[in-house]
Amino acid sequence: MAKFFGVDKVVRFFQIVRDNGGIRGSLRALYRRDELKSGTLIGEDKYGNRYFENNMHFYGRNRWVEYADHVGLDYNASQVPPEWFGWLHYKTDLPPYKDPSRPNYKWMLDHTENMTGTRDAYMPYSTTRPKIEAWKPK
Amino acid sequence: MLRLPLIRAAGLSGCRLGATGLHTTASKLQAPPEQIEVFIDDIPVLVDPGTTVLQAAAKIGVEIPRFCYHERLAVAGNCRMCLVEIEKQIKPVAACAMPVMKGWRVKTNSDLTRKAREGVMEFLLVNHPLDCPICDQGGECDLQDQSMAFGNDRSRFVDINFSGKRAVEDKDVGPLIKTVMTRCIHCTRCIRFASEVAGVDDLGTTGRGSDMQVGTYVEKMFLSELSGNVIDLCPVGALTSKPYAFVARPWETRRTDSIDVLDAVGSNIVVSTRSGEVLRVLPRLNEEINEEWLSDKSRFACDGLKRQRLLTPMMKVDSKLQPVEWEDALVAASRALQQAPATKIAAVTGKLADAEALISLKDLFNKLGSETLATEQPFPKDGAGIDLRSSYIMNNKIAGIEEADVVVLIGTNPRFEAPLVNTRLRKSYLHREQTIALIGPEVDLTYEYEHLGDSAEVISQLKNGTHPFCATLKNAKAPLIILGAEQLGRSDGSKILAETQALAASLGKTVQAPENWKVLNVLHSNASQVAALDLGYGSSLAEIKAQNPQVLFLLGADDADIKREDFPNTFIIYLGSHGDQGACIADVVLPGAAYTEKNASYVNTEGRAQQTGTAVNPPGMARPDWKIIRALSEFIGVRLPYDTIHDVRGRLEQVAPHLVRYGDIEPANYFAQALELAKKTGSFASDPLELKQKTLDEFFMTDVVSRASPTMAKCVQAVIKQRQAQL
Amino acid sequence: MASAVRTVRRQVRPILSIDQPEARSRVLNLYKAWYRQIPFIVQDYHIPKSVIQCRKKLREEFLKNAHVRDIRAIDLLVIKGQMELKETVEIWKQKGTLMNYFKETEEKKPTDFLSKFLSGHD
Repeated sequence: MAKFFGVDKVVRFFQIVRDNGGIRGSLRALYRRDELKSGTLIGEDKYGNRYFENNMHFYGRNRWVEYADHVGLDYNASQVPPEWFGWLHYKTDLPPYKDPSRPNYKWMLDHTENMTGTRDAYMPYSTTRPKIEAWKPK
Repeated sequence: MLRLPLIRAAGLSGCRLGATGLHTTASKLQAPPEQIEVFIDDIPVLVDPGTTVLQAAAKIGVEIPRFCYHERLAVAGNCRMCLVEIEKQIKPVAACAMPVMKGWRVKTNSDLTRKAREGVMEFLLVNHPLDCPICDQGGECDLQDQSMAFGNDRSRFVDINFSGKRAVEDKDVGPLIKTVMTRCIHCTRCIRFASEVAGVDDLGTTGRGSDMQVGTYVEKMFLSELSGNVIDLCPVGALTSKPYAFVARPWETRRTDSIDVLDAVGSNIVVSTRSGEVLRVLPRLNEEINEEWLSDKSRFACDGLKRQRLLTPMMKVDSKLQPVEWEDALVAASRALQQAPATKIAAVTGKLADAEALISLKDLFNKLGSETLATEQPFPKDGAGIDLRSSYIMNNKIAGIEEADVVVLIGTNPRFEAPLVNTRLRKSYLHREQTIALIGPEVDLTYEYEHLGDSAEVISQLKNGTHPFCATLKNAKAPLIILGAEQLGRSDGSKILAETQALAASLGKTVQAPENWKVLNVLHSNASQVAALDLGYGSSLAEIKAQNPQVLFLLGADDADIKREDFPNTFIIYLGSHGDQGACIADVVLPGAAYTEKNASYVNTEGRAQQTGTAVNPPGMARPDWKIIRALSEFIGVRLPYDTIHDVRGRLEQVAPHLVRYGDIEPANYFAQALELAKKTGSFASDPLELKQKTLDEFFMTDVVSRASPTMAKCVQAVIKQRQAQL
Repeated sequence: MASAVRTVRRQVRPILSIDQPEARSRVLNLYKAWYRQIPFIVQDYHIPKSVIQCRKKLREEFLKNAHVRDIRAIDLLVIKGQMELKETVEIWKQKGTLMNYFKETEEKKPTDFLSKFLSGHD
């Protein structure tokens, strides 16, 4: 009956607002992400990104990431580490902590986000020796 | 005294000609004998008796192929490439060694001649490796060219499994020459050059037939100041340049005609460049100066142009030299020059300064009201000073040395100060019975000479006729005095010059030499010196020290031993191409262009003006020297009135017209007046005449370019190593 | 001698205009056509200039030839102006070609010694 009158939509709206931490939290979430969603927390990586799933949404929108709070608005997709990338893009349904086949060697480098456009961006440089060597004052 | 090397006495050369076969630039004194007529390919040609078939053919432009023959070396006649047919003779004859007879009909392109050439070519190629693709001579190889032009077009060499091809161990002959002795075709040009021109009897052959080898007999390096010339002489790739090994092919390089400035001879050179980099320096033919030789320093020091360079203007910030923009450096320099009173500014020019920079600097200083412009090497101010040109140039010219019969060298070592002057002396010593005497420290000049002592007093004794050598001098028909410019920097320099002038004048009275014979010659070692003296750089370093200037401008002055301690409160501006002594003590460094990077005028020790060509652009932010001075003048507010190189040369022409008459010598006169003005009083200092360059290791590093050159450093090491091995 | 050389007005075939007033009216017509077209040009080409700036430039371009008095020359310039207008209206040009009229941002090559020296131009 409630479904028939659309009351459940209103109820769900208040549920989502509550999940996002009240009116204030919801406004903040809207400001950061331009959408208001709630789902089950599947996990959190070591950078502070939280991964959610809510199968109420259709496939493709039922898994999402909420980027770590400290990055503020400076989030981008390259901040997702590779182990969570697979789950987020439906390559696997197992989150990394449940995945037994995930390789884990000690020589593996830590994940870094794409630094293009920042001061830490990679800049190629020449390794050829100059044709003419300059004098260096002592 | 056996003057000609043993190789000729032993008959290896097959010499039938004596000295006539040799190419000398000096005009013959005797009347020419009657000429004889021969026919080269049916073209009649009149030649002197004793002329070889090859020379007669060259006279009408018929080039006979050759490997061993070289016009400046003795005839060897051992390569047999120059075989030609002569009518009514059974066998073909070697054109390089056969003097023509009257009425001979020479056929340079007959079937017999061609067959003979093809046969010789085939024999040469039997034992020559086919490694042209990895050979440094490729592209400029006589064997390549002549096998294309005169060789057979098919091979009879079918045994591809043949393993008996001659192979010879490579020799280590020093850091300059790379040897691949398997490629050697035994033309013996290098041996003849070493013993005749360089005067170092190190090279020779061992064995005979296919076991013949060219080498140094014992493990030894071929170290001479002229050793690089054997690279040019070698018709194949047996002797190639070690620093240039596998660097470039001749067709990739761009060639620029230029002038060498590492000594005062002004040798003509060709600078090979590729993509803005100087790769090598080769000699260019100039009969009046360097013939076709080049000294090793001039040839191999070019890699010094790529090291220790000043690329940006620099300025002392926090008592440390730091790269700055041109504006900042020029503002700093101009402020210092503006603030100093006119009597408190001074300039010193170095060895490599060009005439354009010299005139700009002089104009700038004169506009600021100063006349304190000095050259690195002092010239005595007493007497005529720099006013009369005859007292500071080589009046009798370099080619004129060949005609002298008695030469007195005073305080000079021409072998290292001017190697190509020394080759002239050696040539006359060998072929014209020249007598050479030396006053100064005893050095190895590659020929025998009479050592008259190392005290300056000897000059006076010669003049007064109290020295035993005077008897020889009196009988001389064409005496010559060569005075080393280095001695003029001594405290008694003016006295030495005056006494030498007096000696020259007294000899000049008795001389029966040809007209315009000039006895007095000054041999300089700095390329910029004559131009600087011509333009009126009359001050000296001692005067500048006494003046205690507020601002000191160094135009590439790195060799004058200027120390910061002598100028504690002086603002030093350095303009030059290399970071060396001068840049170290400077407050402002302005990067200039080196001699391969600018179109500039230089005057050699004879007083011959020549210009260098721009082979590459100045590196980094460096600019041609005169432009820097011109820009500086605008910052100071005394704009120099020239914007282009032509304007500067116009100004040069106003001051000294001969400086822009390139290639010509402006002869100097007023010897008598110079003698009259010369300082008669004073006495010689007691210390003996001293030289900066006495041994070979001192020769290789004398200026900023050669000091920056790694090749020259290797040469010094090699000489020292060899000397220690021989001890 | 002087009488031999008589100054005559050379009779030449007119290109378009017979006399000065006609030429003037052609110029004004062209000017007006450009003037009215400019808002559309600015819109179509999406150039970073306002209509006012473009009209100023138009006036400037016309005044560049203010000294031309020869009727034939004026006519030729008018024809060229019309061609230009046609090309512009039909968008046969590109944005950059249009912006060539506004070249003031381009740096001039140094001409005097000192600026040549400092900039490294020879």
